[in-house]
Amino acid sequence: MKATGEELSFHRRILARNDPIAFAELADALYSSLVQTVCKRVGAHADPVLVEEAVGQALLDYHDRPASYNPERSGLRSYLVMAAHRDYLNAAAKEQRAQAHQISLFDPALQGYDIVDEREEVESHVQAGELLAMIDDIFPDAGERRIVTLILNKVQAQAPYVQVLGIAHLPLEEQRKQVQLVKNRLTRRLRRRLNGMQFT
Amino acid sequence: MSDFVASLDRLALLARARPNLLAGSLARYQEQEGLSDSQLAARLGCEVEALARLALCERPRPAPYFAGDAERIAGYIHADLKGLVQVLRAIEVREALSGRADAKRAVGPALLAARDYDEDEKDGEDQGISADSDADEPENG
Repeated sequence: MKATGEELSFHRRILARNDPIAFAELADALYSSLVQTVCKRVGAHADPVLVEEAVGQALLDYHDRPASYNPERSGLRSYLVMAAHRDYLNAAAKEQRAQAHQISLFDPALQGYDIVDEREEVESHVQAGELLAMIDDIFPDAGERRIVTLILNKVQAQAPYVQVLGIAHLPLEEQRKQVQLVKNRLTRRLRRRLNGMQFT
Repeated sequence: MSDFVASLDRLALLARARPNLLAGSLARYQEQEGLSDSQLAARLGCEVEALARLALCERPRPAPYFAGDAERIAGYIHADLKGLVQVLRAIEVREALSGRADAKRAVGPALLAARDYDEDEKDGEDQGISADSDADEPENG
């Protein structure tokens, strides 16, 4: 399906590079619905943070190279959904590889050993399989799971937490406070569950 | 985080790496000035919710387009034009002083345009731009 009249209008304005609000208007008009569409296309297991990043990347790539879109071949929205979906799949695969690498909990060589030593209370209690199941159970939200994964991997840098929380627009001191608050909250939740568990 | 909703704020965050969009420059300005979102919005005379849309706007082109571009952006986010121009000018001055190559290229005409704009607005009231020496470049830079 070719581009709609509205899509063509946006496309021409962005191509012309003489309208400072053209891209912002396009993003404002399409962003939320693109995120929803890509989420649906990915399925129930979609990580909303990754979906937003993929949609954002698709929009920004289009902004950088609008000529790569051909309005004769497809609608702009369809083009962006396809690009975002492709980006999502790539990012999700990369994330999975990174997590498998980071959390060597999956390594069979580590099965049977206590491997989580993020905090003293957690240390020496949980084995890999238990830990993963527990994290899924305690933290149904994908964003929280990503934070917990960072904590368990002893990631000290603030930037990854800021990225996941989407608070980079805040002043640095406020970012630090927010990150600490979330880390403390999630760690407390993890501790409470650990304290309530029976270990064999 | 369970009530996760799509937000232009996250797109604006990604857009910071795009030098021709305002996102990165605005974020640096906000940090340097120590402004919260609401303080920045107050300075611009717009709603906090408009900041993400502002961040996704292109940087205004140099003169002779600067004033028109600034007006278009101000109209889009319902901001105070004078406040917006002052922030844009402050951003360009800082970037020029910090030696950014791309800013050096653009600062002359843009600053001149901003100054012209203010002079028009204020009927010649003295603006006291501190980086005038950087603005004395040829218009075609």
